[in-house]
Amino acid sequence: MKKYKYILLLLFTLLLAPNILLAKTDEKNILALTLKYYNDNNISHHLWVNAKSKIDGKFQQIPNISVSFYITNYADKTNLLGKAVTNEKGEAMIVMPPNAKAEWLKSPNQNFIVVANETKQFDAAKTELAITKAKIKIDTINGKVINVNLIALIDSIWKPISGVEVIIGVKRLGGILNVNETQTYTTDSVFGGVTAEFKLDRIPGDKQGNIILIASLVDNETYGNLTAELKVPWGINLVYVSNFDHRSLFARRGYSPIWLELLAYIIVVVVWVIIFYLLLQIKRIKKLGIE
Amino acid sequence: MEKLAENKIIEDLLPQKFGKKGQMWVISLLAICALGFYAYCRQLYFGLEVTALRDYVSWGIYISNFVFFVAISLVGSLITAVLRLTNVQWSTPLTRIAEIIAVSAIAFAGLIIIVDMGRPDRFYNLFTHGRLQSPIIWDVIVITTYLVISLLLLYFPLLPDLKIMISFKERNGKWLQKFYELIGSFWKNKPEQFKITNKAINILSITIIPVAFAIHTVTSWLFATTYRPGWDSTNFGAYFISGAFLVGSGAVLIAMYIFRTQYKLEQYITEHHFDKMGKVVVLLALIYLYFNINEFLVPAFKMKKSEEEHLMGLFTGEFSSIFWFAISASMFLPIFILIFKKGRRPKWAFIAGILVVVGSWFKRYLIVTPTLLHPFLPMYDVPKNYLHYFPSWEEWSIAGGSLAGVLLVITFFARIFPIIPIHETIIETDSHEKV
Repeated sequence: MKKYKYILLLLFTLLLAPNILLAKTDEKNILALTLKYYNDNNISHHLWVNAKSKIDGKFQQIPNISVSFYITNYADKTNLLGKAVTNEKGEAMIVMPPNAKAEWLKSPNQNFIVVANETKQFDAAKTELAITKAKIKIDTINGKVINVNLIALIDSIWKPISGVEVIIGVKRLGGILNVNETQTYTTDSVFGGVTAEFKLDRIPGDKQGNIILIASLVDNETYGNLTAELKVPWGINLVYVSNFDHRSLFARRGYSPIWLELLAYIIVVVVWVIIFYLLLQIKRIKKLGIE
Repeated sequence: MEKLAENKIIEDLLPQKFGKKGQMWVISLLAICALGFYAYCRQLYFGLEVTALRDYVSWGIYISNFVFFVAISLVGSLITAVLRLTNVQWSTPLTRIAEIIAVSAIAFAGLIIIVDMGRPDRFYNLFTHGRLQSPIIWDVIVITTYLVISLLLLYFPLLPDLKIMISFKERNGKWLQKFYELIGSFWKNKPEQFKITNKAINILSITIIPVAFAIHTVTSWLFATTYRPGWDSTNFGAYFISGAFLVGSGAVLIAMYIFRTQYKLEQYITEHHFDKMGKVVVLLALIYLYFNINEFLVPAFKMKKSEEEHLMGLFTGEFSSIFWFAISASMFLPIFILIFKKGRRPKWAFIAGILVVVGSWFKRYLIVTPTLLHPFLPMYDVPKNYLHYFPSWEEWSIAGGSLAGVLLVITFFARIFPIIPIHETIIETDSHEKV
């Protein structure tokens, strides 16, 4: 009897083993959030978040994740800046609303927090960001030389910041075009400033020749992302000439090239003159038959 | 050709009434046309929704059929014009067969374009608002011109035959007699009339060649002026024309066999004609094969990303079975059959002709559809039925109806007019005797 007991136990174990080994775990994927702060031309501030997760061994951007942005470290209603949903790139952003001003002015440093709600695939996630308030100033000196200063709020006083890399360029097609061969500049210890010589002599501007100079701090761990812009008349006046009404193969109706019109009409006329001539020959044959 | 008495030639070549087989044939074709018409009425009533045409595949079997018809119509210019101008004597019994194939095919090519339009009532807009730069406008102009020239090329050589037919009043019956008299009673076999007719035929033979080349080149440009994988080719004009001559010649082989066996024309459409046409088809198949190699090998060698999906779809993917069938049926097998003397006998030549025509129809389908299913931008967030194309029963019925329509026109033409030129056959027989 005892022998049978062991056999039954062994069978039971063997039957269960695959179920245990192959059982699908209900563990959810881990959602990683990246939070960034932006100061746009010292006018507005926005926060940006990216949601990604390691699925099948590689990181993938996660869309349709509902996220809530908070000012300070406390994720409660009073500190809520706004809510957003990540797009197909896993990104979402909010512009900091005016009602956050009081909280913003309280301290030279600022904390933010973003919280992602739990979904069927992911557990709830959150991430924090601490920045020191800073801004960039941009100006021109002595003709076509650009002067940029980086200052930060330290002990309630705006002080120049040295040793930080900034980019100086011209705003172009959503990117930044360097004003000369130097890619980045490091701020000095005296005014937290840098100067850059503008060498883009033939750059097209708008109708008045205006271009937008931009100084930018990118993904700085202490200050975040800062930009400052300045409009200057250093470009070439761009007069847009529309070729909408020009004759071309791709133009609209009635604007085909003259050579095409001539060629087409000549061919059509020649062929149809021959056809009409032949139709007349039928008439001639008919006349000959009647005679 | 054996020595044949004039009266016997006339008796042999005069149009014959339909027998039982002929009646069944006509009834079958009329039934297919009726089904096609019903399907078209549904399409008109419900719109293009009844078809499988969607955002991506907006040109399905209608446009494949259009290209096929335009292609097949080119044979008129090959047999009637090219062979006539090069003094090829053996083609005389085949000229009218080629010409009626050309006329019926090009007429239905025009019709199928209207069928493809969601709003045919707006067809006149092509003329009132068309852009001269658009190959579609060129196509409309060239198709109309080619149809008129083909009709004239059919009509002028018919005049002497009409006089012969008018003389058989009792055989013709009342209505046919009236019709013959209406279109040909003025023909009196006068030398001046012959002179004018011969001159007109020569002018037409010269004129039709550039027009024929233009019609199919322009049709190829409908595709080639579009920057898409499979269509973006400078080879397309020559590729289309060589294919067109091949399919047209294949159709002539079929027609030759059917008229020869059904109308007992063995003495007029001889094995010699099959031998010659067989050789023509081999030559044309080799030329078309050459252009196909160019068309596929060069992009496959470079294998640009956008072309890769399209080409792999043809070679090994979704369309591979149709692709290899089309290539084999329209080129390899006909070459293999017709390259041997035995293969150029009527029955084998007929089989080769069928292979060419069927293979060529699928080839046109492959030119149109796979490219439309491989746009440069990914097909994103669209219903599943947008990603594939299989024609609806309405499309099959309409396409089948148009094919039946072409055959019906040829059938009725052969019932009303002599399918082999009587007068020219008599003249040639006389000249043979003199020689």
